[in-house]
Amino acid sequence: MTDSFERPAAENQSLAVPEWKALLDAAVDAIIVIDHKGLIKTFNSAAENMFGFSAEEVFGKNVSLLMPEPYKSKHDGYLRTYLDTGNAKIIGIGREARARRKSGTVFPIVLSVGKVPNKNEPKFVGLIRDITERKRSEEEIHQTRERLAQFGRLSTLGEMAASLAHEINQPLTAISTYTQACQRLIESGRSDDAEILATLKKCHSQAQRAGEVIRRLRHFVKEREIGRREVSCNDIIRDLAALAEVDARDKGIPLTIEVAGGLPNVMVDTVQIQQVILNLIRNGIDAMIDMDDYDKGIAVSVSEFNNDQIKIMVTDHGSGITKDDEKKIFQPFFTTKSSGMGLGLAICQSIIESHGGVLSFTRNPSVGTTFYFTLPIIPEANE
Amino acid sequence: MTEYSPTVFLVDDDEAVRDSLGLLMKSVALDHRSFASAGEFLADYDPDCPGCLVLDIRMPGMSGMELQQKLIEMRAILPIIFITGHGDIPMAVEAMQRGAVDFIPKPFRDHELLDRINGALEDDRINRDTLLEREEVEKRIDKLTPREKEVLELVVQGKANKVIAGDLDVSQRTVEIHRARVMEKMMARSLAQLVRMVMQIQV
Repeated sequence: MTDSFERPAAENQSLAVPEWKALLDAAVDAIIVIDHKGLIKTFNSAAENMFGFSAEEVFGKNVSLLMPEPYKSKHDGYLRTYLDTGNAKIIGIGREARARRKSGTVFPIVLSVGKVPNKNEPKFVGLIRDITERKRSEEEIHQTRERLAQFGRLSTLGEMAASLAHEINQPLTAISTYTQACQRLIESGRSDDAEILATLKKCHSQAQRAGEVIRRLRHFVKEREIGRREVSCNDIIRDLAALAEVDARDKGIPLTIEVAGGLPNVMVDTVQIQQVILNLIRNGIDAMIDMDDYDKGIAVSVSEFNNDQIKIMVTDHGSGITKDDEKKIFQPFFTTKSSGMGLGLAICQSIIESHGGVLSFTRNPSVGTTFYFTLPIIPEANE
Repeated sequence: MTEYSPTVFLVDDDEAVRDSLGLLMKSVALDHRSFASAGEFLADYDPDCPGCLVLDIRMPGMSGMELQQKLIEMRAILPIIFITGHGDIPMAVEAMQRGAVDFIPKPFRDHELLDRINGALEDDRINRDTLLEREEVEKRIDKLTPREKEVLELVVQGKANKVIAGDLDVSQRTVEIHRARVMEKMMARSLAQLVRMVMQIQV
């Protein structure tokens, strides 16, 4: 890099000053020349656009003006170290850094620096590229990937529930069997204290093991609070619709989605909320599959509620919920499906409650059930 | 032949479940042996050892269902009680259709499991006795002469000596002698007992 700056300098003799100026101003990257004290000598138009300063404003000022902390207060030191020791931290190496605009905003850059030899008072040329856009698209790619991964998780929610149930069941089985064996040993009079004691310790560690599984389940719901951002209700529904319609079409059940216009935004983890809606739709499908008139379909609607909440409703025309089951449907491991784990609604409820909302249901006047949940328009502060 | 005592074979990949089942067997003084996988059990399997198999349906590697299939192919008669987790019901139904004695969902009450184990051990004893008896009857029949076998067949059909004499074109006295030899060689004390023996091997 240093070479590439020295060579044009040698050829420079054939270039007149106006040509140099044109070259500088045609550059897309900001080009700034400073002297050995760090004072700005050249500031091209790209630099003016990037930083919001005019060349006149910055001439003769210390270049640290364009830096956020901690670079700002360290730059003079870097410069002195280089002049004293020749020990380059940045010269000849392009690297990512941060810069500061006149307005005070800090943005990501790639900076490369070259040296202009000039006896004991060398100058330095800095080329600066604004990579705000690149960073943003990197972040977007990362987020899309994350969302895809979460959708992957969504489709395997059932499998996850099955394996969690299995994992909890194992230690429970061991505890139950250990304790019953101890009772029999004691009753038979053939027990010895050491064996009973050892077995009690095993029971304890199995109880811990079951607790660990439950902690993980809680964590699964909790960990994603960080994934919350402000989204419009339309965005939540849009991605979901495609997925849900495939499900419904497979079963020949029409699905209608209605979103009222002009709804305020909510602060949510989109994927979690989509999980909930999808789960409710799938429950609706399961409830309708054996009905004669399932062409009545399932309706999803989104509307404002009580001025400060969004209400999302999933209405089916299915077999409904019996009076006995009404109290139990949110309990973990309660299910009326032959292949169900009984975790869907329990997980949905923890998701909605962790968002500061409520998940509930009402019996439809004619047939079927409407599940609905609310989300606060202004999220609760104490989550 | 009866040097073996009936043994409960416990196959479960979960160490704690296996260990607790072992203790339960010990608490009711049942001989038992534990295996962490279907493979371990097969490596040690002895068809002559009576007992029953308590088998986890869901295991990594060879599953309980696959072990059952393998044992069926090996013509093993060991009764199987499956222990199943939540959600394994469809699998358990299939296991039952393939001849498992029973299945019991985890976690279970001790007496429910022990009742099933005792039932399975009793089934196994009867199966093995029947099998022994059948082998014994076959041995006795092998000792009969061709003529005696003919007489046996006709006697079992319920024909009178006179009719048999006619069928075989011999004297009634000769039939009586053959018949006495058949009863003796078959160690049958009555016609009814003889008939039952023959029916058993024809099943």
